[in-house]
Amino acid sequence: MIRGYRPTLRATEFGLLLAPSLLAIIGLVMIVLVPRREVNWSWGEIWVSLAFAGLVLGMSISFGIRAFRGDQILLPLTATLSVIGLLMIQRLHPDLVEQGAGYAGLAQRQLLFLGVGAGILWMVVVFAGPLNVMQLLRDYKYTWLLITLALQMATFFIGTEVGGARLWIQVGPVQIQPSEIVKVTLVVFLASYLDEKRDLIGTSWQLGRLSLPPIPYLLPMIAMWGVALLTLVALNDLGSALLMFGIFLTMLYVVSGRLLYVVIGLISFATACYVAWLTLSRIEIRVQNWLNPWSKDPYESGYQQIQSDYALSSGGLFGSGFGQGSPALIPQVHSDFVFSAIGEELGLLGTLAVLALYLLLVMRGFMIAVRARDGFVQLLATGLSATLAIQTIIIIGGVTRLIPLTGITLPFISFGGSSLLSNFAIIGLLLYLSNLPKRV
Amino acid sequence: MRVPKSLRNLSGLGALALIGFGLFSGDEVSDGRWLAILGTAWILLLTGMHMDMPVNLPTFNRGLIRTSLVIVSVFILISAQLVRIQVVQSDATYNRTSQAPDGEVISNPRASNTNLNVSRGRIFDREGVLIADTVGDDGQFLRTYPDPATAYVAGYFSPLLYGSAGLELSWNDELSGRSRQSSIDGWLNGLLGRAQEGLDLNLTLDAELQKTGTDLLAGRTGSVVIMDAETGAILTLVSAPTYDPNQLFTAQSSDNDNATDYWEQLVANPDSPLLLRSTMGLYTPGSTFKTITAAAALERNIADPDSVYEDNGSIVIDGRELVENNRPDDNKDQWTLEEGVGWSLNVVLAQVGLQIGADGFWESATFFGIGEDVPFDLQVAQGQIAGDRDFLDSQNALADTAFGQGELLVSPIQMVMVAACFNNGGQMMQPYLVETVASKDGEVVETTSPEVWRTPVSESTANDVREMMIFAVEEGSIQRAAGTGYEVGGKTGTAETGDGGVNSWYIGFIGDGTSRYSVAVVLEDDSSGLGTAVDIGTQMLVETIDNSLNN
Repeated sequence: MIRGYRPTLRATEFGLLLAPSLLAIIGLVMIVLVPRREVNWSWGEIWVSLAFAGLVLGMSISFGIRAFRGDQILLPLTATLSVIGLLMIQRLHPDLVEQGAGYAGLAQRQLLFLGVGAGILWMVVVFAGPLNVMQLLRDYKYTWLLITLALQMATFFIGTEVGGARLWIQVGPVQIQPSEIVKVTLVVFLASYLDEKRDLIGTSWQLGRLSLPPIPYLLPMIAMWGVALLTLVALNDLGSALLMFGIFLTMLYVVSGRLLYVVIGLISFATACYVAWLTLSRIEIRVQNWLNPWSKDPYESGYQQIQSDYALSSGGLFGSGFGQGSPALIPQVHSDFVFSAIGEELGLLGTLAVLALYLLLVMRGFMIAVRARDGFVQLLATGLSATLAIQTIIIIGGVTRLIPLTGITLPFISFGGSSLLSNFAIIGLLLYLSNLPKRV
Repeated sequence: MRVPKSLRNLSGLGALALIGFGLFSGDEVSDGRWLAILGTAWILLLTGMHMDMPVNLPTFNRGLIRTSLVIVSVFILISAQLVRIQVVQSDATYNRTSQAPDGEVISNPRASNTNLNVSRGRIFDREGVLIADTVGDDGQFLRTYPDPATAYVAGYFSPLLYGSAGLELSWNDELSGRSRQSSIDGWLNGLLGRAQEGLDLNLTLDAELQKTGTDLLAGRTGSVVIMDAETGAILTLVSAPTYDPNQLFTAQSSDNDNATDYWEQLVANPDSPLLLRSTMGLYTPGSTFKTITAAAALERNIADPDSVYEDNGSIVIDGRELVENNRPDDNKDQWTLEEGVGWSLNVVLAQVGLQIGADGFWESATFFGIGEDVPFDLQVAQGQIAGDRDFLDSQNALADTAFGQGELLVSPIQMVMVAACFNNGGQMMQPYLVETVASKDGEVVETTSPEVWRTPVSESTANDVREMMIFAVEEGSIQRAAGTGYEVGGKTGTAETGDGGVNSWYIGFIGDGTSRYSVAVVLEDDSSGLGTAVDIGTQMLVETIDNSLNN
């Protein structure tokens, strides 16, 4: 079924992309002007922004030329979040380099990752159809599961430990954060697996007087619980564990419609976390920093959180103005705490705007899921969108001390290659899915 | 599971009300309690959002809608949390500090950086003598206090360690230029991240007199305050012992060690050098308070200066014998009110107090501002007539209070205002220290105009009490203050301190028709006693009026 080409979709997209493009230019001009303290700049100093604007607008034009009929809002939302991240890293870069030479080239790398990420997004949109990627994803589900488990294992055995958590694998000159890949492969596996077992929903399984979920649901639940727990204990990576388990529960819930499964899952995970809290000192410190970073050792363990609190509080309603705060006082501000930097310089209005962007992005993803005709596509779109939502909630909730802080990146904004690439791949997939035949 | 619509609406409203309550209560809600509020609000929100769905809706769509509502609810919680930390608790968190057990201080580097990046305004005395200065240029400003006799009135400025005090604290908005941020210049500076220019303060303080006062105290613990009775301008605010604010300022944390050592010495010193006694010291006023008692009796038409009281060496009040030690003539037992004040006769003033009665006494003393907040450029400790109004219901307590004992507590600046009031037709001027606020290039932004704080007594009452104080100097117990060539009035006082020592007071005024000044001197626990206090006060007054006439 071929429907008429709708030129308004890409035109809307192009129009919306003008906002992040302008934001990129204005933001960088501010970064140039503030330390200089006089109104004097040249276009050559903001080539980064021009390149960014060219990249996203060019992509929209290229979609237009290919008569791509996918979602027109996802790309502008992604571009806006990315530009906030790009500007923030550009802005933090000089301050960070002052703190340690190891930060040199951070801004350049972020720009490179953005470019490669955009390339991946474009390739997924353009080649997923011809290469029949959907088939690949659906049929090789156990391969994806295997990749997921293998990556977790590899992280455990050959991972590099950073600040007590094993989050990285060194491959030649490149550092990879496996959890960022795992979150995608896990969604693919679960979408395929749960779609296949969807029909077993009505059945249940008696154990004495207990009515248990059907084995195809029970088994992965126990397995997921185990994997998440191992991630927590062995890799010391509470953030990823929470993310993985959250994705699983969300997908299980939309397939089964059983709130009970979610409740059981949450209780069992919470119990595991509670035990971990009692036994692992590292997690105990996190809980302490969550409830009151001042209470014990504010100069050591609580330091980062206190600095983040200072940054957020100094922002107030309107923020200090872009480039005019001191967010670099927060250790690791460019990765885990980039949201506090936004809070300081753009204020409450800035942080709420960023929240709204994420919410729109997630809801747009869910919309794609609802409209999809195919069960696998539905679950895939749900899982990918939920990944973004849960990751955002975990890190922003952590930074704002709503929940204990866990080291995980803020999608599209935090510095980090693995994170940017995998999130752009997610958006690419969602865009591709939005172009598939829809339910009428 | 269906939730009735009314319950849903109720839950939704409840959630909003709960979050609103938590936000509006601000600092009163602890972090833990706030999290509990958010948790409860979340459950209510989820209940409120649990809408009914069409029966034929596929499981998947149903699940997806529910999931998105959960996500929305969590985003609402995050937003509420952001409002709390970025707006509601913003100031409290921004300024929060804590001291680690090893003495290291944790404070918001922003607060200090902002302060250090400001070309802070200077502080000058009335003749343009520098009290506080900012040297250095952009990015490395240093705060210095060149004159030890006035430095502590400016207070200290220690952004990296102890915050600030004195005028540095109370006039921070002007000194840091924050008060100008709304101007176009300030806005442009902010936009471009340029150093803000602070505003200068020109004080009424006289550095020379301040030096004289410090020298006259000669190492004694106490305070000397001089006020222009007509305007309320404060000319000296001597307090001893004191401290050197230069040693508390640090520009880099690497310099903090010396400052921390110095601070710890100051805090450990039993003489409390950090206390600005002139405003923050609270003392029992002793007999200086008899002026207020006499004024209250006159104002209430209970007595006039010539009313006669019996004082034959003691009086029995409610079974307790009060002995008189101040009579100049043991054979005289009839005294006028004027003589009572002039010779400081406790028995006379005790009778006057009893005549006035507790209610009237409380009311009149309050008129004088005793126990009230004194508006001033520096914080003034709140005194008291008594810890509790009921205290005066005892006859003995009322009698004691009437001659300045009991539970009375006043600060030196408050007593200088009382002395000035009698010398100013009953009008008590609001004291002030900052005459003008000006930009670096001398453009005056703000000028203080003298204001009457309150009028506790009529002009005739004030003049009567003024005559009594002149009588005390010319014919009464303070004759050593006479002979200056000016019209001088005064009243002394002694008060026993809790640990058996004696504080000496002198309040007085000087006038020549065109200028009128008053003084309050307190010497803590000083063996040389009242005479020294009177001499210091008199010398200060004479020098003040000489200076003003020479100009």
